[in-house]
Amino acid sequence: MEKMSVVLASDEFEKLQAGCMMASVASVSGVEVNVFVTMAAMTCFRKKTVADRSFPKMGEVGQAAIRKKAPLFSDLLLQGKEMGSLKVFACALALDLIDAKLDEMVPLFDEVVGVATFLGKAEGGQVLFV
Amino acid sequence: MGGESLNPDEVIDARGLYCPGPLMELIRVISVKPVGSVLKILSSDEGSAKDIPAWIAKVGQQYIGTEKMDGYWELLVKKVK
Repeated sequence: MEKMSVVLASDEFEKLQAGCMMASVASVSGVEVNVFVTMAAMTCFRKKTVADRSFPKMGEVGQAAIRKKAPLFSDLLLQGKEMGSLKVFACALALDLIDAKLDEMVPLFDEVVGVATFLGKAEGGQVLFV
Repeated sequence: MGGESLNPDEVIDARGLYCPGPLMELIRVISVKPVGSVLKILSSDEGSAKDIPAWIAKVGQQYIGTEKMDGYWELLVKKVK
């Protein structure tokens, strides 16, 4: 099975949208997808941040996406999981650094892992770093 | 291919949805339809009108065609597997 991995490291809303769209469309196209959420991106997955749409960095396109109710990055990942083979991994280090537990995050993570584990999962497939 | 009916078994009206909404709606429906079903999807999003044939080719279903309407596109697809 074709494989793709997406690393989400930025808290820029538009980057999250773009990365999650790639991941979900790949997943529904029969590609095995692994998403690794790390560094600043982790903060954007807090339940409260998503519910309030209070993302720290949003430009003109991001604001329009919210205003026009385009599907949110978290919903895109959920669709990818529901209709394909997509897994989402939370970076253990990023969670530790912001003193957060997985239950504070939107419920779409499959597992908390470190970089070595993720690299193992990504091996042999293409990797997009967003 | 002769004699096949091109009348859709179901019409999916995804007008007003942003990319990749229409594609996702199509996948949702096609996954539960029996092989042989013909689906028509309406999309007002131009990206999706191009994306849907690409997805059909990628997953090995049968793309029948696209028709440009007034402000939206109609795409026909047949589930062949």
